[in-house]
Amino acid sequence: MGKLLVEDWGLVPYADALQRQEAALEERRRGERPDTLFLLEHPPVLTLGRGSRAENLLASPESLRARGIEVFEARRGGDVTYHGPGQLVGYPVLDLAARNERDLHGYLRSLEEVLVGAVARLGIRARTLSGCTGVFVGEGEARPGGFPRKLASIGVGARGWVTWHGFALNVDLQPGAFDDIVPCGLQGVEMTSLARELPGGQHEGLQSRVREVVRDAFIARWG
Amino acid sequence: MSFEVELPALGESVVEGMVAQWLVAVGDRVEVDQPLVEVTTDKVDAELPSPVAGVVEALLVAEGETVPVGAALVRIDEDGRQAAATGETSAAREAGDAARSAPVPESSRQATPLARRVAAEHGVDVESVQGSGARQRVLRDDVERAAQQVPAVSAPPATPAPAPRTRPAAAPYSLQPGDELIPLTPLRRLVAEHMVFSKQTSPHVGTVAEVDMSGVARVRDSQKRAFQNTHGFALSYLPFILHATVRALREHPRLNASMLEDAIVEKRALNVGIAVETEKGLVVPVVRDADRLSLAGLASAVEDLATRARTKKLSPDELRGGTFTVSNPGRHGNLYGFAIINQPQVAILRMGEIVKRTVVRELEGEDVIVVRPIMHLALSYDHRVVDGAPANAFLFRIRELLEEAEFDL
Repeated sequence: MGKLLVEDWGLVPYADALQRQEAALEERRRGERPDTLFLLEHPPVLTLGRGSRAENLLASPESLRARGIEVFEARRGGDVTYHGPGQLVGYPVLDLAARNERDLHGYLRSLEEVLVGAVARLGIRARTLSGCTGVFVGEGEARPGGFPRKLASIGVGARGWVTWHGFALNVDLQPGAFDDIVPCGLQGVEMTSLARELPGGQHEGLQSRVREVVRDAFIARWG
Repeated sequence: MSFEVELPALGESVVEGMVAQWLVAVGDRVEVDQPLVEVTTDKVDAELPSPVAGVVEALLVAEGETVPVGAALVRIDEDGRQAAATGETSAAREAGDAARSAPVPESSRQATPLARRVAAEHGVDVESVQGSGARQRVLRDDVERAAQQVPAVSAPPATPAPAPRTRPAAAPYSLQPGDELIPLTPLRRLVAEHMVFSKQTSPHVGTVAEVDMSGVARVRDSQKRAFQNTHGFALSYLPFILHATVRALREHPRLNASMLEDAIVEKRALNVGIAVETEKGLVVPVVRDADRLSLAGLASAVEDLATRARTKKLSPDELRGGTFTVSNPGRHGNLYGFAIINQPQVAILRMGEIVKRTVVRELEGEDVIVVRPIMHLALSYDHRVVDGAPANAFLFRIRELLEEAEFDL
């Protein structure tokens, strides 16, 4: 067994996942668990990071709840984001101190690189964007009207040097999933998904292939 | 023994962090490894665990405040005595506050060092003050309350002996009843130091132009609605000023420069800083390569930077690398004023309020008095690098461009 355990949780409501994540975080801090990557999906939910601004939530929490979308505040960095079916969520619980990688922004950059590498194996040329955490597709730069399309969002937390929260990679979203928010507070950014970026014939078994390449990429980097 | 927990280096490129939320309060008992505070930086929310066990003595940074790496965040009393009452922790805090001042002779009466110092400044006999702290210890509040009741004859002498200071540069001052002490935030201290540094470095000279904004107002009025519909925010005057400034800077590179040891460097890059007032103070985000942006592009960049400056979403990189600065204190009652140069730049332009004024114009061979929207533009420049004539030529070129008002969105 390598140094990184990967657990697939399937579909888990955000609140439950948060509890299980925090429990795993504490286990890791006590040394009762190895570094672990949790892979899962959430039912529709909006989460607000510590950097959230109210104006980036375009609908009231009440109207969202009426449509079955929950709203949560999370102890992670970043602005508001959407999670839902068709999106692969990954929560790496890693002890960066034990790995001698005490650099939280460096960790953000590593997550970006790992995801870019993972989707490259599906034939997607993704990239990072200077000054804007996340994984993007297409040309453009970080200014209103000029953004490339956003494929994955990243927002992490750390207790001491043990990480939690992580990334959300859009695999095959229902259209309109992000309509209720300004994703990550990026005015004018368009969200995309692997399904949208791939030619029609390549959607077969996409969900499981994505899990595989992401798992492999994480093990290659942190395993 | 008190232990101060500092903001650790969270990453190589991390220079500061915002205190998002305190997870402990003054008087709380904390264990080793217990999370104390959440600090936010970019897309990371870091909970800092306590390196020691003890009782929280003081939270040194308010929620929402951004501090540099190495700043003290919280003081923990390692002796681990559970605070019996809030008075005790407040006394402990005062002890810390007063640690920087000179020792005051001890007496039999229990009083905090700060209370003793304030008492000395007010001419209050600390022995006579009723203490409200734990075990009737005299606190600063008690002294100030007592000071207000002291009859006029025993009021502090007109020229009190200066209190010893660790910062000898500051003028001595005795606290008077009702005075309020506002501790310097890291940003305020930085601003203060930069202002002094700039004035000491550059001999500032000022020059003012009176600009007829009729043409700009016409363009703006005709585009206002379409612009709002397309871009979702209002078109202000600032982008016009920037556009004209950037063009004038291209023609007068000496104003887009820095002074080195034995040379002047005229810079190729045209990165214009925009002074923005925020709740926390003045910040100057930078519009990069401003000469490559259209008027609409400048407007979008300014809107984006100003919004994020106010919501504290700017990255440190966005505050660096300016080659010239435009200050827009705007609003009302501001005819003109001279800003302090943002080092290592050599000039700064400050916008005055646009007001309708009567001016004389020649119309069909006759002088007539007309009403025009007028703005005063004030340029402060570094006379080491720029002489009067070129400075005026630059400023009056900006005026010319604004009065011609040939702008394409």
